[in-house]
Order: sequence, then C-alpha cells, then structure tokens
Amino acid sequence: MPYTAPRPSPQQHSRVLSGGGAKAASHGASCAAVPAEVARHHEHAARAGQCCSAVVQAIAAPVGAVWSVVRRFDRPQAYKHFIRSCRLVGGGDVAVGSVREVRVVSGLPATSSRERLEILDDERRVLSFRVVGGEHRLANYRSVTTVHEAGAGAGTGTVVVESYVVDVPHGNTADETRVFVDTIVRCNLQSLARTAERLA
Amino acid sequence: MSMAQVCCDSAVAATAAPVVGAEAEARARARAERRSRAGESGAWKHAVAAGTADATRKRSLGAGELLVARKHGAASVAGRRREMEDAVSVRDAFCAEGTADGGRRDFYGVFDGHGCSHVAEACRDRMHELVAEELAATAADSSVSAAAAWTVAMERSFARMDAEVTSAGGRAAAARSSTCRCDAHRCDHVGSTAVVAVVEEHSVIVANCGDSRAVLCRGDGAPPLPLSSDHKPDRPDELERIESAGGRVIFWEGARVLGVLAMSRAVGDGYLKPYVSSVPEVTVTDRSDGDECLILGSDGLWDVVSNEAACEVARACLRRGRAKWCAEAAALLTKLALARRSSDNVSVVVIDLRRRNH
Repeated sequence: MPYTAPRPSPQQHSRVLSGGGAKAASHGASCAAVPAEVARHHEHAARAGQCCSAVVQAIAAPVGAVWSVVRRFDRPQAYKHFIRSCRLVGGGDVAVGSVREVRVVSGLPATSSRERLEILDDERRVLSFRVVGGEHRLANYRSVTTVHEAGAGAGTGTVVVESYVVDVPHGNTADETRVFVDTIVRCNLQSLARTAERLA
Repeated sequence: MSMAQVCCDSAVAATAAPVVGAEAEARARARAERRSRAGESGAWKHAVAAGTADATRKRSLGAGELLVARKHGAASVAGRRREMEDAVSVRDAFCAEGTADGGRRDFYGVFDGHGCSHVAEACRDRMHELVAEELAATAADSSVSAAAAWTVAMERSFARMDAEVTSAGGRAAAARSSTCRCDAHRCDHVGSTAVVAVVEEHSVIVANCGDSRAVLCRGDGAPPLPLSSDHKPDRPDELERIESAGGRVIFWEGARVLGVLAMSRAVGDGYLKPYVSSVPEVTVTDRSDGDECLILGSDGLWDVVSNEAACEVARACLRRGRAKWCAEAAALLTKLALARRSSDNVSVVVIDLRRRNH
C-alpha cells in the first residue's frame, strides 16, 4: 500500500511535569505529578525523525512492591508478557552497562531485542534502558521508567511513569509509531499493576 | 527439526498395501468400515506436534450400533518457528442433538495461537462442548431459520469461549497446559484464531474468527469454494469497523491492529478489544453429490498454498484410491507449505465429503 515518506518532525520535547510546575506543551506526553529530581529523566530531546511519548499507570500496591518488579533488568518477563525469555549477555550481575537479549512472543512484528541498562537508581526508583540491537523496527529506542508514591502519606498507591524516545521507522508516521509503542507499553504497565497487586 | 504428526480415522489402514481400482477400493473401504465397527482401531481426535494424542471411543447411537466416522486426516507441524501454538480438534458425533432427520454431526476445528499456546489449547478442549450446548439451547427455539439458528449458536459459543480464556476459567486452562509459560493469571496478550466446521448429512456449517480458513473442494473440476473469509485488518469492512470503534490499522510489517496484531478478529487478546473482535462469521452451505472434501487450515498453509493448489493436492490423493487419502492429503499439504518456506506453524484437516453410496 502506498505510504508517503513522513515529513521530518520538528524537534520535540517530552516533559513530565513536576508537581506545581507550569504546564508545557508536549507531543503525546501525559502529565503526572513526578518529583522534580526525577522529572528530568523523562525529558527526552527528540531529534528530527524521532518521536517520544509517556504512559502513566496507577497501581494499588505499595511503591516498594512495584519497584521490586520493575528493577529486575534480568527478568523483564515477570511483567512484560510480550517477552518470552531474557538472558544477560556475558552472564554476571546486573549493573549499569549490562546487556540483555530478549526474545519476543509470537504474533508481534518483532523477534528479539538487545538492550543495555543505562540507569538503575534504587534510591530514586529510576530504571532506564537503551535498545542496541535485535530484530525489530524500533531503532535508537530509549526508555525511562520511574516509580512514585501516588499521593501524600504512606500506604497510598503507586504511580509508574514510562517515557521513551525512538526513531520513526521508514514508511510510518510519528503518530503511528506512538500508537504502536504506547499500546505495548500500556499493556506492560497494566500487567505490572496486576503482578504487583498480587504480590502485595 | 520439524516434527509432523499425522492422524487418520483408521490406524490399521495406514499399514495396508496400496489398493488400486474401483472394485478393490470398495473392498478396502468395506474392510475399513468393518474394522471401525469392531473397534479395532481408535480414531485420533486431535493431534499436535508434541505428539500427544487423545484416542476416544466413538459414541454408540443405539444399543450395539456404532457410528461410522467420516474419513478425515489431520496434520500439524511447528515448522520454522520453534514453538507449536496451533491446535486441532476432531470430534465425531459431538452433539447429542441430531439434525431434524436424525443424522450425525461431526465437529472439526483449527486454532492458530499467538503469544502463547494456551488459548488455542482451550479452544481445542472446549469449543465443541460450547457449540453442542448452544445448539441444544437454540434447538428449543423453533421460530428461527436454520441459518439464523446456526449464526446465533456459533456467535454465543465464540463469545463464551472468549470469556473463558480471559477470565478465571483461563487460569484452569493455563494450568492444564504443560506448554504454557504464562503465570496462572489473566494473560491479555494471548489469543488464537478459530475456524470451526460442523459437517451434517446435508450441510456444512463454518464459523471463522481470524485468518485461518475453510475451503470446500467440489468435484467435476469446479473451482474451490471458500467457506470463510480471512479477517485481515485491511479488509475494507474490517478496517471500517476498527476505525469506527476508535482503533487504528497501521502498516508495521503488514497491516496490524494498532501496529501490533496481524488479524482483526481472534479469541482472546483482551488488550486489543474491542478492535480485535471474537464474533465469528458463519456460513451454511448445502452439500452436493459431487463434493470431494473440506480443507481447514491455519495461515501457515494458506499464506503459501492457494485454494486451487490445495484442492489439486487433495484431489490427486483421492484419485490414488487409498483408504487413508485424507491423511495423505493433510500430510502432503503440510510438507508443501514447509517446502514453500512457510514461516509459521502449519495445521491442516481434510474431511472426506463424498456420499457413502458413491
């Protein structure tokens, strides 16, 4: 079917607002109350030909339970059900710079993904990875996931924010790319909610 | 590395010497029928590459009288993908409610799973039971036409099957499966096609959801008759339905719902509802004296073998005159799909539709 090449996107920023901050225009980014010290991780400078977005998920489980699942860079299939298996390249312990090889379940337009751990901050509950290879169409994908208490006081729920930036593949538009990736990320975060709520 | 599993209605016949000529064929058929009546050979009800088989005895129609199974063959092969996520179901005389004239109903299904195998396996294990229950319920209502009654029964069966695989019942199904890798909780990302055929004395009823397919081979050189239409997201009416519901069809290695799934209808796949629907399309087709066979297959077959080529293969096997020609046709079709580099699991069922008096 005929597809015109997408026009190069103007530079975009995705910003997850700090609590109380002024609203800023954003392309597809959702707004969420995120502490200022981690909001910067969700600021992605998208170059021409890239797009970015963020997905927010509320979870009725303690922040510690949610983070304990999210932080397992070596075991993403615990909540990412599109992942069939995962192994660390070269073995060893998880640390910034570790690379995992992920195999994807059938039915999706991808077979595998090779991903490098960029940030693992247990104090601020930030995890970030970059896609460095594999059989898929998501070139230069970088993702950041942060986990936060939902509101004032302990014992309240949790909010998870996952934002990403990625190249728009040849033949698709930025909007189509966001629809595709947001669908996967949203499904993953909904699975995370069910998994963490079961653990709690 | 490919495992192929073939089952047929007469295991003993599989070892018989080749038979040629109409008279010899008639004798062979009579022998096969006698063996079948004597219960010397169990018929396989479903087959998967893992090699599991479920042999069950045919149900007696009355005291001492055994139903004679329609000849059929089924073959499933994992192919170039390492996981087997297809399932096949063959259920002779599956429905206690007979047709108005007291005839028999046989159930055949091909289920092509994606994401994992447990939805296809649940369909294999339960779909025929749900159809039987809904037929009994529909039979009580004599105010609707036969075709409308079939549509209601099939739509309800598929809706119940979909509900089972996305609810607590799905856990039981998952727990029963040794090949399922999912945790014992809801798996929104798993689904399956379902192409189901019910063969009666005078009609063939097909209900289809997804991109598996049913094709009728009519005789006398007539072109094959598709009894189902593939649910691809870019089929114009499917595209319109998806977009009206607020969804998108994105070309991402082929047309995909939200760029993710390459079919527009499936059992399961809760995360893509309502765009990916489990409502089947139902056809009711009168049988004719010249009909040769019915072929059900997954898209691993149909993506690389045309309807015409599949019927030619089946017809060639039929003309060889062997008792187990349906099993041969099913096995040959899977081999042909693999030879043509199908990249998917391949499952095929071939059902002999020739009238008994021929």
